[in-house]
Amino acid sequence: MKKLLSAPVLFAAAGILLVVGVVLAFWYSPIDASSMGFSQKIFYYHVPIAAAALVAYGVAFVAAILYLRSQDLKWDRLGYVSVRIGLLFSILVMATGMIWGKASWGVWWAWEPRLTTYLLACFLYAAYWVLRSVVDEEQRRATYAAVFAIIAFIDVPITYFATRLMPSGLHPVLSGLAGSMAVSFGICMLGMLTLMTALIKRDYEIELIKDRVTDLKTSLGG
Amino acid sequence: MSGWTQFKAILRKDLIRELRTRDMLVSMILFVLLAMIIFHYAFTVKEGADLTYFTGGMLWVTFIFAMLLGLNRSFAQEKDEHCLDGLLLCPVDRVTIFFAKTVGNLVFLLIIQAVAVPVFALFFVQRSFLGDLLPFLAVLLLADIGICSLGTLLATISMNTRSRDLLLPILLLPLLVPLLIAATGATTLVFAEGIGFGSVVARLLVLLGFDAIFLVAAWGTYDFAIGE
Amino acid sequence: MSDDKDRQDGGAPLEIEVEGLRKTFGRREVLKGISFGVPRGGFLSIFGPNGAGKTTTLRVIATLLTASGGKVQLAGHDVREDPMPVRKAIGFISHNAMLYPDLTAQENLRFYADMYGVEDREARITELLERLELSARRHDVVRTYSKGMRQRLAIARAILHRPRVLLLDEPHSGLDPRAVDILDGLLTEIRDEHTFLMVTHNIAKGLEWGTDLMIIENGRIAYEHAAGVDHETFSAVYREHVHDGSVV
Repeated sequence: MKKLLSAPVLFAAAGILLVVGVVLAFWYSPIDASSMGFSQKIFYYHVPIAAAALVAYGVAFVAAILYLRSQDLKWDRLGYVSVRIGLLFSILVMATGMIWGKASWGVWWAWEPRLTTYLLACFLYAAYWVLRSVVDEEQRRATYAAVFAIIAFIDVPITYFATRLMPSGLHPVLSGLAGSMAVSFGICMLGMLTLMTALIKRDYEIELIKDRVTDLKTSLGG
Repeated sequence: MSGWTQFKAILRKDLIRELRTRDMLVSMILFVLLAMIIFHYAFTVKEGADLTYFTGGMLWVTFIFAMLLGLNRSFAQEKDEHCLDGLLLCPVDRVTIFFAKTVGNLVFLLIIQAVAVPVFALFFVQRSFLGDLLPFLAVLLLADIGICSLGTLLATISMNTRSRDLLLPILLLPLLVPLLIAATGATTLVFAEGIGFGSVVARLLVLLGFDAIFLVAAWGTYDFAIGE
Repeated sequence: MSDDKDRQDGGAPLEIEVEGLRKTFGRREVLKGISFGVPRGGFLSIFGPNGAGKTTTLRVIATLLTASGGKVQLAGHDVREDPMPVRKAIGFISHNAMLYPDLTAQENLRFYADMYGVEDREARITELLERLELSARRHDVVRTYSKGMRQRLAIARAILHRPRVLLLDEPHSGLDPRAVDILDGLLTEIRDEHTFLMVTHNIAKGLEWGTDLMIIENGRIAYEHAAGVDHETFSAVYREHVHDGSVV
């Protein structure tokens, strides 16, 4: 089972799923009936990336709680890599969102709830990074980062609700998906989540190895 | 020796200290008033520009930036004189410290607002909003609680880092965006159109939710933020 | 555990018990497994070069730091599991006065009295201010105090709540002779019925007060002995064990 969930296998699985997803999205699923037409296809990537970003932040949230309870630094490593991946995916969400926006509304940027929530998420988790960089002592850094990761994650949904108070109606809301679209979408979603898991797992393992190296260096008198 | 006695003791100490020196209060009030003047010059480039729908935003941006100054100050001294050690040596629940500090910061913010709001109204608000005073005060109080509770938690963390006061805005401002949205929306409505309680209810609920959630979160994590 | 301790207390209960204390800051191990005990009524003087871990040990016992490993007990309570009764039982005197400069002596003491739940608050404050010769300046803000006066007020702060154990972190450092006299006078007065742990660079004072002596170096106990060692012998021992030449 462990072998099945190892990073290389996950990457392979993600690769397959995403390629199949692209094929299905472009050749199998129909062109969207609404005004968006062909540009709607970006949604097959945009939404799964957005979901993966949130899941990554969620992993960081859980890791933070586990760290505070156990004081075991490995949870700190997990939190740190998850935030990094989440940040990467958030930037991709905004990039794909902007491309889609230009294609369908003609503007590169619009102040609407979902885009702005992800923009804020980028700043929140960038703040997480800055916080980590100004604390020198390891346990304290992990503790403060954990507290902030918890607070930040709670803030994201609240931000989303608050931004809906602002006037704006541009972001397309997707009502039900017809059969063939749902299949492609499902596969892309699964593929993206698998990719996210693979990236986090690989980065986490790298961090643990780095720690072992440092420990060895210290015990050798470094 | 109860938590309540200790809460009062910490609060009283912080209030006496500030009211005696008035360092923080005077600086914050001056800052707030200066900000208003700067806003006027910044936004009235066009002759007769109507700032009515900017009022909520100007007011809350000013208060939030003023609190950044105040929050840093409220912990700086504990840190500099090692008084924080003295406080942590006491048999006191860390959460009691959190609540006492938050309420102290709240009191200072309210004092500043008591001075700033009338001046602001004089400069920027055309209609009399006395009829809507109650909803306005509700918005004020709820937003203040959010700013002070999250601010206290994050100031505790940032004071213990290398960047100290530089870090607080980076941590706090993104978190306060939802609060800012709700507070400025509600405040602008009160100043501009003067609707009764009804239309600001949605925003008040956001503020209430924000406060409740983050007070609980701060309560749960403060022990970690202040200890070592 | 040390033979000296067993021989000395002959049954006196241990007020402070430290077992295998380890503390790591990041990747740096500051305390590498320290064990010792202080019997009730005892006075342990701890010496050692800067960075040895003396102050870290003290701060762990005072509940200001959490240990990375090992066990510390004070007055029968584990400092990690049960810190509240430990805090009530401790008075901490350090070279940082831990006083609020913009509050008066009275306000400072009132604050701490409330925090510790001292019942006869006013009487106790008045009594201490008199003993420490600060009554005349009780309504002056601490900012106007000299270093010696602040240290005296800090002592008042530390013993306000009648703690059983006193932790002293280089208490004589930076004091003028008058303040040293008052401190010593006070220590003499409260010597009975209290347990002491003092970290110091001042060998003379450490030898004068200690019933047990210890040198910590590089995170470990380098030397321990019951009192009764004269200054010269001890200085020689110190120089032998400690290689940075900081001898007073």
